[in-house]
This record gives sequence, structure tokens and C-alpha cells, in this order.
Amino acid sequence: MTKKVCVIGGATTPFDYGPTGFESIEGGAAECIRETREDIPDFSMRDIDLMIYSHFSVHFGHQLCSEWIIHDHLGLVGVPQYRIENGGNTGGSALYAAALAVMSGHHDVVGVCGWETMDSVSQSQGSEFIALASDIRYELLVGGIYPIYYAAMANKWMKDNKVTEADVATIGAKNRNNAMDNAKAQWYRNEHKYITVDDVMNSRLISYPIKKYDCCLMSRGVAFLLICSEEYAKKVNPDGYVTIDGIGLSSCTIRAGDRLNFPGWTERYGKNYPGMTEFGACRSSADQAYKMAGIENPLKDIDFGEIHDAFSTSEAQIYKALYLADENNIAQFLRDESTHMHGQIPMNPGGGLMGYGHPVGATGLMSAIECFYQLSDLIPKKHLSKKTEVPDAECGIVNSHAGTGTSISNFIMRRS
Amino acid sequence: MGEVTIMKKRKKFAEEPNFTEKKSYRPEGVKETGLAFIGHEISEDGNVMNQFLHYDQLYTIRHGENSKFFKGLLEGKILGTRCPKCGDIWVPVRTHCWNLNCNLEKTEWLEMPLTAKVHTWTIAGWSGRSSLKRLPIVLVYAVIGNSNVAIANELHDIEPWNVEFGMPLKIVFKPEEERIGAVTDFHFKPADGWEPSPWNKEKERIQKLVEPVYEWVKTLK
Ligand SMILES: [Zn+2]
Repeated sequence: MTKKVCVIGGATTPFDYGPTGFESIEGGAAECIRETREDIPDFSMRDIDLMIYSHFSVHFGHQLCSEWIIHDHLGLVGVPQYRIENGGNTGGSALYAAALAVMSGHHDVVGVCGWETMDSVSQSQGSEFIALASDIRYELLVGGIYPIYYAAMANKWMKDNKVTEADVATIGAKNRNNAMDNAKAQWYRNEHKYITVDDVMNSRLISYPIKKYDCCLMSRGVAFLLICSEEYAKKVNPDGYVTIDGIGLSSCTIRAGDRLNFPGWTERYGKNYPGMTEFGACRSSADQAYKMAGIENPLKDIDFGEIHDAFSTSEAQIYKALYLADENNIAQFLRDESTHMHGQIPMNPGGGLMGYGHPVGATGLMSAIECFYQLSDLIPKKHLSKKTEVPDAECGIVNSHAGTGTSISNFIMRRS
Repeated sequence: MGEVTIMKKRKKFAEEPNFTEKKSYRPEGVKETGLAFIGHEISEDGNVMNQFLHYDQLYTIRHGENSKFFKGLLEGKILGTRCPKCGDIWVPVRTHCWNLNCNLEKTEWLEMPLTAKVHTWTIAGWSGRSSLKRLPIVLVYAVIGNSNVAIANELHDIEPWNVEFGMPLKIVFKPEEERIGAVTDFHFKPADGWEPSPWNKEKERIQKLVEPVYEWVKTLK
């Protein structure tokens, strides 16, 4: 018999490239927890019985085991801790680990803290560091940066699914415009403007069909999320806690070109899946999370999501992997603006990676925190207005995604 | 009392290879400096300080069982591997089969034909610092011979807007003296006799997107 897993609080520092006001990672972590305590004053640091740290690349800080700096700064000596690293899915994987810890009954109150300091090197050096997660023997030298690999996958996906550049550009505009309602968002703090589909279409070519405004941001930021048993949740946040009803984690090849006929996929989903176009690990982890949470019709049963929009094209590909649309209606699904705030299933009301930012180790946690805010009626307090609140949301999905779709997790959260 | 034999020399568990062919093509001025604080800055109000740390390090990539592939590149060959049990073939190579039923069967090497087919493609208008001057770059994922997987590399000798899904390619190697045993030793070209399809809306759109890239590259020193 496994125990129910709950989310009772969480916060991020502002996300930015350059000064956030919380540049030291241990200071940022402390401030995130202080903000969490403002929301749930009955939570005490003494209650934490496990800390899981979420950090992608030690290259950015040039400090191995930087979680050790944070952990003792928080006063938590003696409390068990370890760090999770899983590319862009580091945050999702840390959340997965925290959920397992509580489900098992072995831990009661688990803090999850993630960060990345990508502005400690130049932008081009930063892109190269991230690209070190591609197979350096085969891909780093010929592509060099992730947008190129994603563009090659998206180009074929769009042709196969009759999706146009303008269709996916709606996503690039949507997430940035959502971020204009979120003072912690990097887009709000920097470019600070509403944009149109034409702005995305006219932004500079990164790699066809991806343009600048189809791409996420490089960021500095810290996030903290508090996971616990239902007994503790009822004690500390009885009216606002959220349950994690489904979790899923799956994996795919490091090189996207290796997905054409992989036996592990063909035996699960049939021949030619996922190929270079679909995110098999997203589908497979969604299948696990849906089954666990009793989701039968995702489009009907889920009210909104915070998902991994590294590129506007990949957000569209994720919709399909999550069964929100299929090859016959995905183009229309996009044209109907189904995932805008006024649509059937708003996606990334918090701004996503393109609007809020993408400090890798903190990103998946940011998504989970935004999902928690929606389900505990905290959006009017945390955002600038109610414009980005999903009214009466009961069920949300959180998605975290790594590599070229190499590791992906999905979580189903519900209002308690 | 029995005699105790103490081995004076530690037994080697693997033979040390004798590296007889050594080459260095390190650019002028590249050195390992190791770790050094090389500067700092302090804000006008005295509240914030940044410090600059420089670090670089030489890495040895030991290719081990994969060495044949990279050595093959120096010789102008594309080597693949094949599972003797299920027959699957790979470039990039796998030294053990991916099919769980084959239980990590060791694969055998084979020389691949220098022909390929485009699986998917993109046109890079932005890249890592070292590649900026060569933009726009056509990158394809192509299937070499009857490989079960696609490999990424550049496609040369084509206008970017003319690339097509499924187009036939040939593999061309750099002159022998320029090769370094990396995938950049070769690139793709359209197969002899291939002709681009007629002008269309998408080609027009791509041309519009890449024109500023050509202009921008001209401004680079
Ligand atoms: Zn086999």
C-alpha cells in the first residue's frame, strides 16, 4: 500500500539572465523557502526529513557538489540529501524521486531544490555546455547546438502532420504573452512586451523552421518545492494542498537518429514509432501517469498544463504525445488556440520556458510550482492579475523533458 | 611454515597499447592554464562583487572498442557494425546489439557504402561560435546504406532551399591530410544526377529566412 503524495508549497527566485537579486545559489534557495513559509507559516524547517537537489551542469558554476553549499546554508546538517541530474528533465526527475520517497512511507516531508546559473559563461559558451549533453563523438561537431537537432525533428514532424510555421508560432507568442502577467518571468523582466505571431515569424532564423521567438531562454534561477504525506499536508496546509495522483518517467535514445527502428519502441508502440518526429518517452511516461491517476480522456480530464516548451515546435509535439490531438487534428487544434488562456486546455499559463525562463535544474520545479499555484488558488497572489488563472481548475499536468526527448517525465496533480 | 610469495610487480589486467602514430593539430596559442582567478568587478554602491575564473583542460577521449570507426574516417571509410544474431546494422556504431532478445550480443564490423538518403533536414542560421562564419549550414540526418539508424552531418553543394526529404546523397571525405578522425572528416553531397524540384512557396520562404544570414555572415571578421 503506497502513501498519497502531496504538494503544499513552493516558490522560485526571479528568473533572469544576469542579476536576479538572488545571485548566490544558497541565498536564492533560502529566499525561496522564506517565500514558501509566508504561504504556509505552520511549516518549519525542522520538519524536512529529506532534501533532493536538482541541478544539471556543474560546468556553469565550476563547483562540484554545489548542493553541499546550499544544504548546510539551510541549516540542514544531518538531514539526508542527494542530487538528481537528468538533463532538461532534472527537475521532473527530482520530483519523481521525491514522490517515490513519500509514497514508500520512508520519508514524510521532502524538500526539492533546483537551480542553474547559465549566465556565468557567455551565451555561446552556454549553448555549447548544454550541447555537451548530445553525443559529443557524433553530434556536437556537426550540429553544435540543440535548436539544430530540434529543428531537424520538427521539420519532418510538421510536414507529416500538416502543421505550418505560423501554427507553431502561436505557441511562441502565447507563452511570452502569458509571462507578461508574471513578475518573476525573464521575458517580463527583460524584453517586456506583448508579441504577435508575425513577430515570431519575422524573428531571425535559428534553424529552419525554428526562429528566435520559437526558442526558450537561457537563465539563472532557483526553485523550491515542498512534497509531503497527506497527514502532514492536512496539518500545515489543509485548505490548499494538492495531490500528485500520477507519475511517469521514461527514456529514449541520446541521438535522435537512433529512433527509427529501436526494438524497445517497436515492441511497445508498433513499427515506425517514434521515428525522429515523435517523443516516445513523453507518450510512455504519460501512459504511466494517466493510468495511475485514472485519466481516460486527457483532453477532457485535464484542465491545464505546465509543459516543457524548449521550442514552440516541441510544445506542439508534446500535445500530440500527450494524446491531446492526433495527426488528423493537431493542425486544427493549434489553429483553434486550444491551449491559450481562452482555449479548452491552457498550456503554460505561467509563461513556460519561453516566457518564465529555463534555468535547467530549476525548470521542472518551476512548472510544478505554477501547477500547484493554479490548483491551490494562489495565482491572483503570485501573478499580476487573474488573466493567467485557469478558473476552477481541478486537474493539471506537469511535463519535464531532456535531451532531444531523451528523458521525459509527466505528473498529474489534482486539487485536494 | 609455508612460504609466502610476494609479487614485486603489479600484474597488468589489460595490455598497454603502444601508440606509435601520434599527431597534434592544436591551434596556435591554445594552452592548458588550469584554474586561475583572473579579475573581478565591484558595483558602484559597493554591494555586489563578481569574480572571473578561468579554467581549461585537455581531455583524452579513449575510443576503445569504438576505435575502428574513427580510424576508418582517417582512411576515408565509413565503418558500421552488425549484430550476427538479428542482423541489425548501425552507423553510428554499436559494439553490442540493442535488441533485448540478443542479450548484448557483440557486433561485427563491416564497411558501409558511401551512399545515403536524407531522413530529415534543417538549415542552421545560428550555431556554436566556431561555425558562425560558415552559416547558413544545411544539416541532414541521413541513413547510410542499409543502416537501421540515421546519422547527422552537413550537406554541401546545394542551395539551402533545395534540400528534400528522401533525396539520395553521396559521402565525400576531406583530403587525407586534413582528416582528424572525427565525423567532420566527411560530409554529404547530392548524389550524381540528382536535380532539385521546381521552385515553390516553401523555397521562397526559406530564401527569405536565409538571406539575412548571408548578409550577417559578411559582417563577421
Ligand atoms: Zn541483435
